[in-house]
Amino acid sequence: MPEETSKAVSRRRFIMGVIAGGAAVSAAGYLFRASTHHGNAPLIGAGERLITLNVNGRQRRVDVARQETLAWTLRYNLGLTGAKLGCDRGECGACTVLIDDVPHYSCSVLTHTVRSRKVTTIEGLAAADGTLHPVQQAMVDQHGSQCGFCTPGFMMTIKWLLANNPDPSEDEIRDALSSNLCRCTGYSQMYQAIRAAIDAEQKGTKQELVEAK
Amino acid sequence: MSLPSFQLLRPKTLDEAVALMAKHDGEAKIVAGGTDLLPSMKQKLFTPAYVLDLRGVGELRGIRNMPGNGVEIGALTTLTAIEHSAIIRKDYPVLYEAVKTVASPVLRNMGTLGGNVCLDTRCLWYNQSLLWRKSCGFCLKKDGNLCHVAPGGNFCWATFSGDTPPALLCLGAEVEIAGPEGLRRTPLSEFYVNDGIVRLHLAPNEIVTRVHLPEAAAGWRGSYQKLRVRGSIDYPLAGVAVALKMKSGRVEDARVAITALNPAPFLVKDADAQLIGMVPSEEIAERIGELAARTAKPLTTSALTPEYRREMVRVFAKRAVMQAAAN
Repeated sequence: MPEETSKAVSRRRFIMGVIAGGAAVSAAGYLFRASTHHGNAPLIGAGERLITLNVNGRQRRVDVARQETLAWTLRYNLGLTGAKLGCDRGECGACTVLIDDVPHYSCSVLTHTVRSRKVTTIEGLAAADGTLHPVQQAMVDQHGSQCGFCTPGFMMTIKWLLANNPDPSEDEIRDALSSNLCRCTGYSQMYQAIRAAIDAEQKGTKQELVEAK
Repeated sequence: MSLPSFQLLRPKTLDEAVALMAKHDGEAKIVAGGTDLLPSMKQKLFTPAYVLDLRGVGELRGIRNMPGNGVEIGALTTLTAIEHSAIIRKDYPVLYEAVKTVASPVLRNMGTLGGNVCLDTRCLWYNQSLLWRKSCGFCLKKDGNLCHVAPGGNFCWATFSGDTPPALLCLGAEVEIAGPEGLRRTPLSEFYVNDGIVRLHLAPNEIVTRVHLPEAAAGWRGSYQKLRVRGSIDYPLAGVAVALKMKSGRVEDARVAITALNPAPFLVKDADAQLIGMVPSEEIAERIGELAARTAKPLTTSALTPEYRREMVRVFAKRAVMQAAAN
């Protein structure tokens, strides 16, 4: 038994080592890409590149090249990797974030154009104490995601839908969901999750579904 | 994919924007919603030295009702704002019908009317990454000298793929354009060039500022029918708009326009002659379908075959006539 345990531990250590190594390699990849990405930038004053962004209610100082998209800045400069880069050309919605409470595909937004605007990402959706947004919780309960890659984008679109229309019809829900692509065919479960969250809200069993704007 | 480097210009007024466009004559591209230009720039289809972000120019945003004189829509007005405008829905339903089919709800939050009117033409051989295009020896529209769609030809068949222009053509809309010489206005029907490269009668230093819908077209019934592979996000692969002025069950005036089939959107010639004075019927709708199919010159610029798109424009034109009459 003790031998087996030590074997298991060493195997786990080995796997952890592989994962750490892989993470380092992929981080290097990002750094390398980021540097070539920045390397193209024309010479402009540091003052022009250093900007303040309002992300999830916090003021973040960040160094942003002129040609950087919001998706890039969020993921690789601010460490907010919830918004995903799927197609990176405005066709899939995996990078959806809210700008002034309205969903945008962040891969097709220049970061410099959202200065002085309010950016909300999936990381800003749950309450400060970690309590999930009611629709997030409903998505968990109803198995609204499979691989999960598209889920953060969907959550932002759904948040917008319910903020503007607390009791949407079936067509309105399906129309809103059409902004994002899910390749695991999870649309029906997502629809059920939204429905469940709304029903729970109407029965008064869940608190505040839609936060006051 | 990263964007090529550029300097970002952010004017606050139209005068400032016009001056900047004149100063960087031909070297600046305008961005509004970013949904057309930015993905294309990632594919290195455009590598401008300057990108002018027009969104700071607040005067170009919004829908203005001018009683007795039609409606004016600022070029920066988002497609979502048009979709939710009570006056557009009530007085210019064909535009409402077309707007709500554009891309997806989120893209309509971003995309603007000016951007949809000035949309770049699209082709299987053009809207691809630099690596992809390079491996095929590039094409006539960008970086190359041969057309893969019609080899041997010197004409670019890239297809105009905006949804709102056929509706605007049906309404007899005009576009207002700002340039170094001041403002000019041109009927939308004279704004497009049937050439995938030239595309628009718009100088590189000019800016589309507003779209004007005439009072005479207020109250016309309308329908827009769109062919696409998926029910959301996709560009049209064929589109038909029909607007009818009805009086006691008969057509008093009519226009039919098609999109996504030629390098420019077109009004269908003689469609009005077929419809005026008539009570819309299956038989007349069928004839409009024939005319629309004859106006269409689809080639293999998209994922569906030209034969299918031509057949579908016939079917969709027929449906659009019947639906516009019923609306």
